[in-house]
Amino acid sequence: MTTLTLREGVPGRVDLAGILPDTLAGLAPAAISTLSLEHDGRRVALGELFEVEGGDPDTLLIQCDRACLDNLGAGLGRGRLIVEGPAGDGAGRAMSGGQLLLGGDAGDFLASAMRGGTIHVAGNVGDWLGAAPIGERTGMAGGVVAVAGSVGARAGDRMRRGLILIRGQAGEYCGSRLLAGTLVVAGGCGALAGFGLRRGTLVLGRPPLHLPATFNDAGPVELTYLGLLGRHAEGILPSVLPTGTRVRRYVGDLAFGGKGEVLVPA
Amino acid sequence: MILNGVAIDDTYAEAFGMKATRILITADSMTWARHAATAAFGFATSVIACGCEAGIERELATEETPDGRPGVAGLLFAVSTKELAKQLERRVGQCVLTCPGTAVFAGSDGEERLPLGKNLRYFGDGWQMSKVLAGRRYWRIPVMDGEFLAEESSGLLRAIGGGNFLVLARSRGQALAACEAAVAAVARVPGAITPFPGGVVRSGSKVGSRYKTLPASTNDAFCPTLRGVSNSELGPEVEAVLEIVIDALDDASMKAAMLAGLHAVCAVGAAGGIVRLSAGNYGGKLGQFHYRLRELLA
Repeated sequence: MTTLTLREGVPGRVDLAGILPDTLAGLAPAAISTLSLEHDGRRVALGELFEVEGGDPDTLLIQCDRACLDNLGAGLGRGRLIVEGPAGDGAGRAMSGGQLLLGGDAGDFLASAMRGGTIHVAGNVGDWLGAAPIGERTGMAGGVVAVAGSVGARAGDRMRRGLILIRGQAGEYCGSRLLAGTLVVAGGCGALAGFGLRRGTLVLGRPPLHLPATFNDAGPVELTYLGLLGRHAEGILPSVLPTGTRVRRYVGDLAFGGKGEVLVPA
Repeated sequence: MILNGVAIDDTYAEAFGMKATRILITADSMTWARHAATAAFGFATSVIACGCEAGIERELATEETPDGRPGVAGLLFAVSTKELAKQLERRVGQCVLTCPGTAVFAGSDGEERLPLGKNLRYFGDGWQMSKVLAGRRYWRIPVMDGEFLAEESSGLLRAIGGGNFLVLARSRGQALAACEAAVAAVARVPGAITPFPGGVVRSGSKVGSRYKTLPASTNDAFCPTLRGVSNSELGPEVEAVLEIVIDALDDASMKAAMLAGLHAVCAVGAAGGIVRLSAGNYGGKLGQFHYRLRELLA
């Protein structure tokens, strides 16, 4: 395992885009230290900010004590990136494969434009989880994100494909403008969940405080898909889905085609 | 070669390359999974007129199925990919989609894929919904009891059909009892099925007929009623002959299934009225796979 440990007293923010197991493979610690990073808008050598230890190139461990590292695992295609400590914004951005394991909290825009791979977050996540990056039309388009804690507002905004599992709570506008895919929130969620839902599925462990007026109640139904999803999710984030396959189904958002669904325990 | 008083003919079963797939059918209970499977794999004894040969491979416990419900695994075999695709879609569409509470999943991987829910989804009339989990696409089709869940496609497999052996006995009852034991033994072999009713065939056929329109006709050499008027293969002590036909996913499965069946019949032995074991072939000119009885039992 290759290890990068953030030096004490490093101020400002560090952009770690491109620091991946693949890009470090075959490089000695001295060579890794000479790689260039953006630190508060200027280019600096990685060795100025991190202590470097060489090892197995398939796993990269990054240790830090404050949420100043942005774009951790951005563009990850294979291998494993483990972060001990809190992650900044944009972690897992445009990931296409591999595993990103975040041991603490994560900032905004986690898994933005993600296309594949798996992200596990032990703590909480900020706003815009899996959402479209600023200036782009679609959000997460594949892969799996599992969050053990809670998430902020707009989780899954404009998500196109993939699976997001949240054990805690979600903020307002959860699953807003969702195009497709599945978003599971075991805890409660804030106002206007599913606003602008086109297709896709929002599975909520607790009934929402209120849905947009443009949702209709389809009543209780037995959905086989939940058995399949439950079996699949059990191996990623155990017990995050409500038990049983009988749920109350709300269809909507009727202002946007009405082919999406919000499922809550019946 | 004589085993437990049963003479083993120095002959071989001639089998053919076929295309196959495995599907998993789940339901709220094993009873309803079986209802769907029995219908879907019904009228699938022989490719001669059924389009495919099919059968239940085994029952699946809840921990073995993708959706955690009871289910069955079934195998379908056909002579071409096109025919297999047609039969699969038709049978799943008419017998699984229609059956309360069922879902269908691919049971085989492979580069080449056969449509499973891919076209059946249009039954949803625009309300169908696609889901992708772990790289596999599923279709959720609204139906009157909730939804029909179908995986998009199933993997195509290269397989072997037409493995067989003939059980020659002193009476029909004794032949049937031995065949029942053989079918039970074959059923325990993964990757193999016996597609005929109860796994047993009484109308073994030869190639050709005196009637121009018929490609096959009764195997007169093994018909006890024709002893004395045709070129019979039967001695005076044989009163009935029954055949076990086996389709398998690969050579190893076929050998294991043949062997399991042959051993089961031999275990019944002469004391149970079994006289001989033989096999059907076409002189080795038609099938790529030959299973010699004496080599299997050696």
